[in-house]
Amino acid sequence: MTSHDQLTTITHASPQARPRRISYAEVRARIGEPEDMIKRKVRDRLDRHARRFIAHSPFLAMATSDATGLPDSSPRGDYPGFVKVLDERTLAIPDRPGNQLADSFRNLAENDGIGLMFVVPGMREVLRVNGRAYPTDEPDVLARMRTEGKEAELAIVVELTEIFFHCGRALIRSRLWDPASQALAGELPSIGEIAADQFGLDADPRALTDMLEDDYRHLY
Amino acid sequence: MAMQRTILEKAEPVAEGAVSLLLRGTDGPLAPWEPGAHIDLALPNWLTRQYSLCGDPADLDTYRVAVRHDRLSRGGSEYIHLFLDEGHTLDVSVPRNNFPLLPAPEYLFLAGGIGITPILPMLTAAVEAGSSATLVYTGRSLATMPFADELRAAYGSRVRIHATERHGRPDFAAEAAALGARTLVYCCGPTPMLEAAEAAFPTQQLHIEHFRPTAKKFAPNEPFDVHCARSQRTVRVGAEDSMLDALNHAGFRIPSGCREGVCGSCEITLVDGEPEHRDDIGAPPGRMYCCVSRALSSGLTVDL
Ligand code: FES
Repeated sequence: MTSHDQLTTITHASPQARPRRISYAEVRARIGEPEDMIKRKVRDRLDRHARRFIAHSPFLAMATSDATGLPDSSPRGDYPGFVKVLDERTLAIPDRPGNQLADSFRNLAENDGIGLMFVVPGMREVLRVNGRAYPTDEPDVLARMRTEGKEAELAIVVELTEIFFHCGRALIRSRLWDPASQALAGELPSIGEIAADQFGLDADPRALTDMLEDDYRHLY
Repeated sequence: MAMQRTILEKAEPVAEGAVSLLLRGTDGPLAPWEPGAHIDLALPNWLTRQYSLCGDPADLDTYRVAVRHDRLSRGGSEYIHLFLDEGHTLDVSVPRNNFPLLPAPEYLFLAGGIGITPILPMLTAAVEAGSSATLVYTGRSLATMPFADELRAAYGSRVRIHATERHGRPDFAAEAAALGARTLVYCCGPTPMLEAAEAAFPTQQLHIEHFRPTAKKFAPNEPFDVHCARSQRTVRVGAEDSMLDALNHAGFRIPSGCREGVCGSCEITLVDGEPEHRDDIGAPPGRMYCCVSRALSSGLTVDL
């Protein structure tokens, strides 16, 4: 079909051929102990810097896991400050229409642990928040999430236990905010091509992409 | 929409939970305005919010607005109160007036809380024009009421301050009973107050301004066609689409602010067809606000 077929056949390594597994002690021995200052930067509540960061963050990655501990991470995004601060230890994340898979909600029902990573475009450091979470339909919370005349149907309340800034090396190395990096997207097939291929659809990939674009117009 | 660049020169508290913002134009004089006008303020968090101008219309170097930190803020007033620092550059729209002061020999102004902002310059203008004017200014307590002291100092007994914590709600029925036939009533405040005013005063004499969309029920959305007369194009508005989004998607650049029918930035000119007005501004004949309004007929013809 397309050149993508020839790309890679992912070989399943035999157990013997898997990369070597090393212990945590070995890891520690390689990377050393964290410095005192770094240990201390973990807080158990928001300060004004964290609050300001959240107020300017339009995007976060949200990790949850099921009862067995199998994790999942999902993107959340909206206008900056879409995550509301209810008090210095409580946040609320709106749930907007998505794919209705509700993986995160199912996970939270089994295991209320949650990990968030907030980013602010242009800022190399990220803000990480860990805690416990549950879904809510509290009207006063949802009212704060009204956008373009539409209310969020649900929200996730996060009671945080740890909050800290994470250094910017990963974002610096990844050149994430360098506009030139966006050329990478041009190297990928369109989402229509991917879908046609993955689902074995005999449809015009361009039509699929257009359909999706059309769907993307209804964000709220 | 024509935007004007300003710098936030001063942000100062004017009551409990309310700040006033003094915005100085950076590129010469700002666009003129009349009492009742509001501007859109484009915030750094991508939100656009509408605030009534409450400064002096004769001063075209600065605009003044006042903002209450709303307990259920969606990110506008909260941002202004917590994160907006003096010295920040802010783009503001040219003023629009959905709440103009019409000439009258006598006025009754009714303001609730931060709803005092459009009323403030109206009262000044009415007094300067030699009309007789009374203000009934309602708030929870004096401490929560912006500009209460300066109003009393300037206008004395023309201003009646009404703290609901101590006196309950003002008696609009009594005000209405005493209302002169040629008196115009201007009311701005929270929804229950607007409703009370609507219940008490004759519609022809009452002018109200909404900050927020009122709760309304409409028949489910139907798709419809918009014929754009000037460009000879037809745009389909799906049941899920707003007319504003559909037109913008088709390449028309319609400005927008609130996207919920209260600010008036998305006004378009209607040529033919029967619109279903869903806004809270009260579209004048031949106009509609396409962020919320739709069609009752199968199609509309607009001047685009
Ligand atoms: S965008 Fe405000 S009335 Fe339409």
